Amino acid sequence: MAAPLVLVVLAAVTVRAALYRSSLAVFIAERVEVASPLNAWKRVVEGLALLDLGVSPYSGAIFHETPLIIYLFHFLIEYAELVFMITDVLTAVALYLAIQDFNKVVFKKQKLLIELDKYAPDVAELIQTPMEMHYIPLKVALFYLLNPYTVMSCVAKSTCAINNSVIAFFILATIKGSAFLSAVFLALATYQSLYPLTLFAPALLYLLQRQFIPIKLKSKSFWLYTMQYASLYLCSLVVIICLSFFLLNSWDFIPSVYGFILSVPDLTPNIGLFWYFFAEMFEHFSLFFVCVFQINVFFYTIPLAIKLKDHPVFFMFVQLAIISIFKSYPTVGDVALYMAFLPVWSHLYRFLRNIFVLSCVLIFCSFLFPVLWHLWIYAGSANSNFYYAITLTFNIGQILLISDYFYAFLRREYYLTHGLHLTRQDGTEAMLVLK
Amino acid sequence: VCTSRFWFNYRHVANTLSVYRSVKRLGIPDSHIVLMLADDMACNPRNPKPATVFSHKNMELNVYGDDVEVDYRSYEVTVENFLRVLTGRIPPSTPRSKRLLSDDRSNILIYMTGHGGNGFLKFQDSEEITNVELADAFEQMWQKRRYNELLFIIDTCQGASMYERFYSPNIMALASSQVGEDSLSHQPDLGIGVHLMDRYTFYVLEFLEEIHPASQTNMNDLFQVCPKSLCVSTPGHRTDLFQRDPRNVLITDFFGSVRKVEITTEALSLDRGVAGFESKFPEDELVTEPLKYAEQLPVAQIIHQKPKQKDWHPPGGFILGLWALIIMVFFKTYGVKHMKHVF
Repeated sequence: MAAPLVLVVLAAVTVRAALYRSSLAVFIAERVEVASPLNAWKRVVEGLALLDLGVSPYSGAIFHETPLIIYLFHFLIEYAELVFMITDVLTAVALYLAIQDFNKVVFKKQKLLIELDKYAPDVAELIQTPMEMHYIPLKVALFYLLNPYTVMSCVAKSTCAINNSVIAFFILATIKGSAFLSAVFLALATYQSLYPLTLFAPALLYLLQRQFIPIKLKSKSFWLYTMQYASLYLCSLVVIICLSFFLLNSWDFIPSVYGFILSVPDLTPNIGLFWYFFAEMFEHFSLFFVCVFQINVFFYTIPLAIKLKDHPVFFMFVQLAIISIFKSYPTVGDVALYMAFLPVWSHLYRFLRNIFVLSCVLIFCSFLFPVLWHLWIYAGSANSNFYYAITLTFNIGQILLISDYFYAFLRREYYLTHGLHLTRQDGTEAMLVLK
Repeated sequence: VCTSRFWFNYRHVANTLSVYRSVKRLGIPDSHIVLMLADDMACNPRNPKPATVFSHKNMELNVYGDDVEVDYRSYEVTVENFLRVLTGRIPPSTPRSKRLLSDDRSNILIYMTGHGGNGFLKFQDSEEITNVELADAFEQMWQKRRYNELLFIIDTCQGASMYERFYSPNIMALASSQVGEDSLSHQPDLGIGVHLMDRYTFYVLEFLEEIHPASQTNMNDLFQVCPKSLCVSTPGHRTDLFQRDPRNVLITDFFGSVRKVEITTEALSLDRGVAGFESKFPEDELVTEPLKYAEQLPVAQIIHQKPKQKDWHPPGGFILGLWALIIMVFFKTYGVKHMKHVF
């Protein structure tokens, strides 16, 4: 499988290099859907320039990157394009390896459940076979590398790519089973943008499953392992934050990075839901609504953990999607990360109900974003409502996509245990309804 | 300056033309007057007496005659043109009649009328000038030595707010009403159908009618014009920036063109004066050659500048700590047995 992967990587690198040399690079770098105040490249350059002039880069409201990014780019700023291409390649390779391992885990579990007779007799067509799963890791790498969203994000040199690669390494470490590395990468991801904190729950569930520790609230080993993992995670987070203090000898980065993410002061339009609301809100309500919106991101973790405790990787996928829809400054790079996972659930295709409509919605909205931006900002014949309408539609499309996959997944699980042809008590055919 | 247009603002044009007439009567020629009017009254289709602008009821006084020279008319009366006239920042193609050719010995009278509010004056119903802009324009005039003394009269609602922000020396200001008060108009003429004058200007003009070029009336009398009983609004004035005592300032210093003329019957020979002036030139002053333009810029320094060094480096402790952590993580995951390969 290495050769096709190398080919895919080469193709992706060629596409990106070609785009870097063309005039589209400048156009893409300015688009608000790709570069948000958190991860725009010109803000990184500005911060480093300020540092060269002897001023702390966090003194203004321009720079919102973490000190580790300052350290990384201080030496690599001339090779920025190479760095971003390598980051994308690393992400894709990490996802490839992770999904390869995940497939093995899925197989083992499936075999175990078949031998334990947990499956109903007529579900042969629902069971995944090695043949169809052979190409999934390659497809995942392909989906990530050649996704137009990723390419645009890379050409714009948005640090979202670095964020994605840290999360990809975290997923790789979790699926390989190494709690220590997984905690370290999760701490790095949380350190960079706050929201991967919610990925703690699926990672914990996966690792517990791997150690065969049952998830009962009374079980001592459960709490022991949870405490271990949580302490690893928190310690690494604290160590990283303290280390960042020593870069500039100040704690300025905490309000600039985390305060900025949480309090959303910058209302530049993006593909998220925050900017429009807060642009037209009265001052004395904004604190309340900021809290509500931020809680919305973290809120789905517990219910999803209860429902999906046996399927932590799917839980991770849904959680990633929720982060990239509801975070305060989403960009298309975040969307690309969870879309890379869609081939893993390609066996759910027969249960997806709205996939055609949703893919049309997502594609059309992606094309309408620049059109309505032009109409609003340059032609002056539209206004922010038009752009926000497309933002809303895009997010609704994403949310419906995730809930569609969620429903399809649960439906498949139900069919696996109860058989494909459901009958009611009196023998007539029954239909499965999500309540 | 009259900053209003349209027929119902007849009185602002009449105000301005009346002051123009008084000022011309007292000796200031057209070449020294910049008159800005919308000038849509005399030939307005609603004017029952075309080619006239009356300032008294019963059509006693036509202030629009053959010798009215309007410098900025109709849509040329804008904030930009007004400020350009004041500061002198005018394109070179502007004719002399449209410029304020003043120097540091000139006394300038500025009379503005129109619709105003707290801190602004409305120009032609589409833009406004603020008191801050006006104060800054006067400061530019001061720095460019474009006036010796300046008298600013404004007849609008809340006119006193317009002179609140002045900060340049030698400015005296008068306004027809205080902040929060409206200036009111005087009398309507039933034949023409609009109000003909504003109260404050009406009484100022009554006052000015008694001034002749030799009169010794001073500013304090001008401040008493139009008390509240006659004007309904309270006129205000500001003299704190003015160097001389208003008691000693003659009305004709601003409103008229009165020069001090000394008649002498002796003949003065001028050649000796010129020679004497030259000998006063000190000989021990260094005669330096004027610097050429290129020498003033450090071009050589700029061309041969080395590329900027990166001034900031991450502290050593940080780098050490970071790499130590990375190595620790590496060995923890892959086992200590690799250590001997490294070392």
